Amino acid sequence: MSGAPPILEATGVAYSYPGATPTRALEGLNLAVAENEFLAVLGPVGCGKTTLLRIFAGFLRPAAGTVRCAAASIDGPGWQRGYVLQEEAIFPWMSVRDNVEFGLLAKRLDPQARRAIGDDLLRLIGLSSFESAWPRELSAGMSKMVEVARVLATDPAILLLDEPFGALDAQTRARMQDALARLWEQRRKTVVFVTHDAEEALYLADRIVVLSPRPGKIKAEFAVDIPRPRSLDSRFSPAFLDLKRKVWEATGAG
Amino acid sequence: MGAVRIRRAALALLALALVYGVAAEVAHGRLPTRVWMGAHFVEDVQLLPTYGSLAEEGAFLVESRILPDSIVVSSRRVLEGLLLGSIAGILLGLATGWAASVQYLADPWVTFFRFTPALALLPLFVVWFGYGESSKVLLIAAGVAVITLLGAHQGVRRVPRVYLDAAAALGAGPGLRFRKIVLPLAFPSIFASVRIAAGLAWVTIVVAELIDARMPSLGYLLALSGAYPRVPTMLIAIATVGALVLAFDLAALLLHARATRWMRRSA
Repeated sequence: MSGAPPILEATGVAYSYPGATPTRALEGLNLAVAENEFLAVLGPVGCGKTTLLRIFAGFLRPAAGTVRCAAASIDGPGWQRGYVLQEEAIFPWMSVRDNVEFGLLAKRLDPQARRAIGDDLLRLIGLSSFESAWPRELSAGMSKMVEVARVLATDPAILLLDEPFGALDAQTRARMQDALARLWEQRRKTVVFVTHDAEEALYLADRIVVLSPRPGKIKAEFAVDIPRPRSLDSRFSPAFLDLKRKVWEATGAG
Repeated sequence: MGAVRIRRAALALLALALVYGVAAEVAHGRLPTRVWMGAHFVEDVQLLPTYGSLAEEGAFLVESRILPDSIVVSSRRVLEGLLLGSIAGILLGLATGWAASVQYLADPWVTFFRFTPALALLPLFVVWFGYGESSKVLLIAAGVAVITLLGAHQGVRRVPRVYLDAAAALGAGPGLRFRKIVLPLAFPSIFASVRIAAGLAWVTIVVAELIDARMPSLGYLLALSGAYPRVPTMLIAIATVGALVLAFDLAALLLHARATRWMRRSA
């Protein structure tokens, strides 16, 4: 990373979930994300990845340490940090178009402006012909893409993605990864992508940080210098496989 | 609600009507016509009136405007009470569901009133609001308000957290979240409570109309026909109330189906 100040920064962040025996989710976590960087946060289930993302999104306040976005402290959710939840959160009572345009409604854009941006994003995710469909008519992959588009519509500086493709089968997952990679190449954004899948992290990210199990802190870090645009060939290139092995070892799977 | 279900319901009703018709014809002339009414005998009672006698009685009730006027008067009371009570109940329920502080204030009162039968309030309402329209309408409204309050409260409480979080992350403030997330998701629960309340409203009005017994009203028509006793009139009044409840419910279901198209399974 160069001398440019990070757009997203966590310093000494700790978080515990209350209870009879409080669960220490994060402890002493330091992380800086550069502008337009695609960062993958990798770790086993229950390592505090989602907690970290919810802190960045502004839904949780760290018990210790600070989180800053563009040098300002984060004190609540906001569209500038577009957050795609791990759970399915497409609004089933709204059409696909209304889902995509929801954030614009919150921004108080007039209907014409909303429509123009909506058109644009529906085209980008290839769902123009589904604009008036109900979400139940979409496949799981498509509805996750609508959620990503819904967040992109407000044009946030940062995208926080929490295992967006975790519930998909391998083929759909690969297709969605491709779609996301193309999307990101077209609209550069800072991305924090949480996943437990090393291959997915390698395929998409510029940099991978590996979290240790509870309490989560950064255990290892890898720069992914596989050239873009990445393709199926990238997934089987020696450099990719070599890095994959190292990442696997770092996650404790090797 | 599919056409198949409507056809089945119609068939079931028709079958019952047929059985009654046959039973009445068979019983005609065989059942006693002299009935002991506790203190005296009454002559010329038709225990199981035939369709012929029901048609005759029905024609009289319609021609004399007794039945149409009663339907209008009783339906209007139910509608007014339902509307008034629903508005009050839903608004309160939304408030208690959305804001914890309101809930703490309202909770004990709701728990108290939900188990108080609306009819127990009748004497009090007559004293407070007189024998006129307002005591009846308000009595219905009170019963309706408690039920719809609970429906709206639970509807708001059951809104999944994910949707509220997703909306907040997209920059939606409390107002927009309430309008676009909470209201549509709470709607089915609110609606179900209004349907239940509508049924209760009809029970309430029929009994409430016994207090200020005055024509025209379906409640008094029932009471009067019971006093003579005049079974054909009774049956017609009962069937009329049943049909009105059914019509109310059908209208409600159609409205519900339209508002929850997004939920339906098939595309």
